[in-house]
Amino acid sequence: MDLNGLSADQAPPISAPTIFFLTAPIFGIIAGILILLSDASILSNRYSIDTMVITHVLTIGFLSFVMLGALTQMLPVLAGVRIPKVDIVTKISYFFLLFGTIFMIFGMIGNSPKFTLASSLFLGLGFLVLIIAIFIGFRKVENITASVRALLTSLTFALAIILMGTYLLASYGTGTFSSLHLLLANIHSVWAIFGFAGVLIIGVSFHVLPMFYVAPRFKRFCKQKVVWLIVIGLILWMFLNIFFDAYSVIAKIWIATFFWAFATTIYIKLNKRRRPVSDVTVWYWRSAAIFMTLGTFAWVIDDFFDGEYITIVSLLIGGGFIFTIMIGMLYKIVPFLVWFHLNAKGYMSIPTMTEMINKKLARIQFILFIISLIGFIISFFIPSLLTIFAITFILSMIILEYNILAPMLLYRKIIKTKPDFDMSVFSISVDGIE
Amino acid sequence: MSTIKEYLSADHERCDGFFASMEDAAAKDMNNVSEAFEKFAYETERHFQMEERVMFVEFEQKTGMTQGPTAMMKHEHAQMRNLLKEMAIAVESKDKNKFFGNSETLMILMQQHNMKEEQMLYTMAQQHLSAESGRIVDMMQSMVVE
Repeated sequence: MDLNGLSADQAPPISAPTIFFLTAPIFGIIAGILILLSDASILSNRYSIDTMVITHVLTIGFLSFVMLGALTQMLPVLAGVRIPKVDIVTKISYFFLLFGTIFMIFGMIGNSPKFTLASSLFLGLGFLVLIIAIFIGFRKVENITASVRALLTSLTFALAIILMGTYLLASYGTGTFSSLHLLLANIHSVWAIFGFAGVLIIGVSFHVLPMFYVAPRFKRFCKQKVVWLIVIGLILWMFLNIFFDAYSVIAKIWIATFFWAFATTIYIKLNKRRRPVSDVTVWYWRSAAIFMTLGTFAWVIDDFFDGEYITIVSLLIGGGFIFTIMIGMLYKIVPFLVWFHLNAKGYMSIPTMTEMINKKLARIQFILFIISLIGFIISFFIPSLLTIFAITFILSMIILEYNILAPMLLYRKIIKTKPDFDMSVFSISVDGIE
Repeated sequence: MSTIKEYLSADHERCDGFFASMEDAAAKDMNNVSEAFEKFAYETERHFQMEERVMFVEFEQKTGMTQGPTAMMKHEHAQMRNLLKEMAIAVESKDKNKFFGNSETLMILMQQHNMKEEQMLYTMAQQHLSAESGRIVDMMQSMVVE
């Protein structure tokens, strides 16, 4: 049994998750600027270059950065996983993902095949380095819990979508598109949303909801079976999509049902939570549950309109569910990390978690973000409004960046002072304890 | 008779309940939070002592690991006791902001700590101490808080 995640010394350095967290809103701002500069009518076509670039600046630059950052921090606690050489692995992964995403923007929008090919290579490497390291860390885990199973499942989907995504992106670099391009792109996007992000969120929420809000624990059936049922649905959907597309709606209904049930469960659990405190993170979780409910229905209904409303589905599920939960998580994780690392270093007279982020600014950020999301959906029908909501989105991302940066600056400031206690006595090496 | 893991995990959940009641009381009226706070602080201290004075001692004797996981858990107990002291000051001075600031931090620290214990340490303790499980649970149950 690997006990290395038990101590502050052995927890990943604060820089491992925070470089990802601090960069994510910057990509959010870049995506907002790209929306601002794009033609609204082009954005309603999911396969237009502008749409694909903006989608991936958000899904890679924001969502994956937050998810990977959170995984480096949470895996030791949630699953007892220690990522080997976590400091160097995260830095390498970060470097490749950062430049991979930037190269993708230049390559695709600037129509530069060299940048596009480089971005395909960089993004592939960036994801693989960290995900393979996580898989290696999982090998030592003996206590396979529902969360561990969900995380492993999610990362397996991640591997598949990375390989597909790398291939699809390289196609734009080489200018040669296989006959399976659109089919692969479809599988890539559905597996990314439901298989990677969706299952990851489910696995993490088994712990996070009871942990942060003292919400009732998830039922055994939910923890043991739901992930498998979703996996069956996703594989069935792929099979039907390839061979019997006319029937793929059956698998869609199957997948949508479980995610809808999950969204409802989140809402019920939050209602039944024993902590009365309602902060902006609770609002984020509640909004996510509502958007996911609408998104699952929209996804199924969209099938009867030949995918005409897929942009709305993506906004509801990708933006309203995944993006929303990621921001909510950031507001909990970042202040805790700052407090935890300072405390472990012997600083006792430090601000509490709730003092690290300005509550009013967090609320304003939330409102701007939700307005933007709803606004983007309205803009699908009234394209002239897109500019306004691109601006509100950019503002919400700027405030988010500030809200995350503030605790980090506080950390920098405090770390330069003398600690209240010398904590070197607690620097216990646990290497070799198995 | 429950196992060490079952008994201590259930006690975590019990303490979560007292925590929620305490926050509930504080949210309603800071003038009437003392009783709920004392109850939570007492039950948490009892849990720490059940581990430090009974289970950890047995575990350390059996495995010979005195500077390993139990030392780390004791260190986190010290962190949490420190936060409880801060909360006691906030209760005394009826400072709602300070109270909830510390309770939020304590909550996450406590849950992270519990998760590590339930997933790793208790599982490990159960493996090493399964033959003595009943006796150890009995000792923890009958322990008097110092």
